[in-house]
Amino acid sequence: MSVRNDRRLPGSGTLVPAVMALVLLAAGAGGYLWFRASRMPQPAPIQQQEAMPAAKPDEPFMATLYLPAEGRLNAAVVAVKRDPDVQIQARETVAATLADDRGGTVAVLKELKLKALYLDAAGTAYLNLAPVNAGQKELRASAEEELLAVYALVTTVTQNFPEVRQVRVLVDGREAQTLAGHIDLSRSFVTRTDLVRTQ
Amino acid sequence: MPACMRTIAGIICALLIAGPAAAAAADKGLTVKGVRYFTYPGFTRIVFETEEAAPYVLTRSSDGKTLYFSSYGGPFVLRSPQLPSINDGVVKGMELRQERDHRSIIITLGPAAGDAKDFVLRGPDRIVVDVLRGAAAAVAPEAPAAKAPVVVIDAGHGGMETGIVTGQGVEKTLTLDLANAVRKLLKKSSVKMTVLLTREQDKPMTLDERAAFANAAGAVLFVSLHAATGQDARVFILDPDEGQASPSPGGPSDFQGYDAMSEQQQMLWGTQQARHAQESGRFGRGMARVLTASEAAEPEQAPLAQLKAVDSAAVLIETGMTMNRGKTAEVIAAEIVQYVSEKR
Repeated sequence: MSVRNDRRLPGSGTLVPAVMALVLLAAGAGGYLWFRASRMPQPAPIQQQEAMPAAKPDEPFMATLYLPAEGRLNAAVVAVKRDPDVQIQARETVAATLADDRGGTVAVLKELKLKALYLDAAGTAYLNLAPVNAGQKELRASAEEELLAVYALVTTVTQNFPEVRQVRVLVDGREAQTLAGHIDLSRSFVTRTDLVRTQ
Repeated sequence: MPACMRTIAGIICALLIAGPAAAAAADKGLTVKGVRYFTYPGFTRIVFETEEAAPYVLTRSSDGKTLYFSSYGGPFVLRSPQLPSINDGVVKGMELRQERDHRSIIITLGPAAGDAKDFVLRGPDRIVVDVLRGAAAAVAPEAPAAKAPVVVIDAGHGGMETGIVTGQGVEKTLTLDLANAVRKLLKKSSVKMTVLLTREQDKPMTLDERAAFANAAGAVLFVSLHAATGQDARVFILDPDEGQASPSPGGPSDFQGYDAMSEQQQMLWGTQQARHAQESGRFGRGMARVLTASEAAEPEQAPLAQLKAVDSAAVLIETGMTMNRGKTAEVIAAEIVQYVSEKR
């Protein structure tokens, strides 16, 4: 005697048409939304900044130096040897600041040389300075001269290199309290626009 | 180590280390990464930053004039390139001494030194030595019994640090002359005040020592005198960006009532001036205007290492070397008198 096992679920006869109807409905809604979206005005594509023409390697880097003069910093544009490496370019620029005769009113700049410049990932540039005369124990400058000397270097670096957010000044590779007895070097420096002379 | 000394502390610090672990720590010795100090009215705190908690020995000589700090066992290593120059009356100086195979830091105590206490702090690991100001020296020797406001005049530079040198003179000498002249005028003033000079003679002083001197004297005003070429005077106050707000009090205190949690005294040093910015600005503006004879003059803001730890209104005045010194002293003294009379 055979036994018939009815494995159909109750009401499953209507399931397939219902699923097909839902699929068709979803496809229709999707098509409608696509149609609407395609007719809406599209946002203008973000205008790409006009790419600067790549500087030729033999073209100089035009750096703006901030040089102390009569109690403020004067901006002066000079040509510096171009280098694709930001650290090396910044180093060349700082060296140009120290060497520029127009900052001669602040003698302490003349007594300093840049031993190294390091830029870390956080945008802090470390300027490792040293006296030109290795045996020199004391740099002599008034508070104002020392203030301008420090900010001449800080402003030159931060204004020419957007990668540099702040500057730390080391002396002979170490943290020093001051350069000439006044300005606190234990802090990070940022640009002080109030020290820059407006034309 | 000399036999005459008596041990005041032979602390096996290691804190949680005990038994065999303590012995192992002793074998590793003690490595000091840095040494700092802080001068407070009641004591001088010397902080040895160590690489890790390790046993140490602190002993005092039989005459009580010297402290010896070293490792309990194993090598004693000092990584700090130099020890701080301390000369605040309580501590006269520190030096690293090597005797055969034993190294130690010698702390020479000054005439004002009293008892010494030491303790250990963790995170980072530090060994703290507090040398208390003795009872006989509890009061600043020059401060009178009456509570007259204290004004500290600081003659910039000194000793080997000459400051600028020009045909008009040497900065360290000019500043001392001017400081003496200002003090003389202030003493004649009808407004009672105690006037102290950070240095009375040609001697070197660190910037921290000058600030500590003013703070220990309870100064209400600190005026640092400097000189520059030319005939213009400038007044500087601390850049307001310098120094953050002082830590709020209320944390757990150490045995002297000072906040011991994370050693907040360390954070405090160098930030004291921040809370006097307004007063310094007010005094600086007045001084700039009388010195330049211009009603529009303002003090210049600068990150001055000298002012950041001063716990009172503080300015740095840079006078032109060719200025009339007698008149300059009169102007400075008059402005100080006005400030003090307004403060009373």
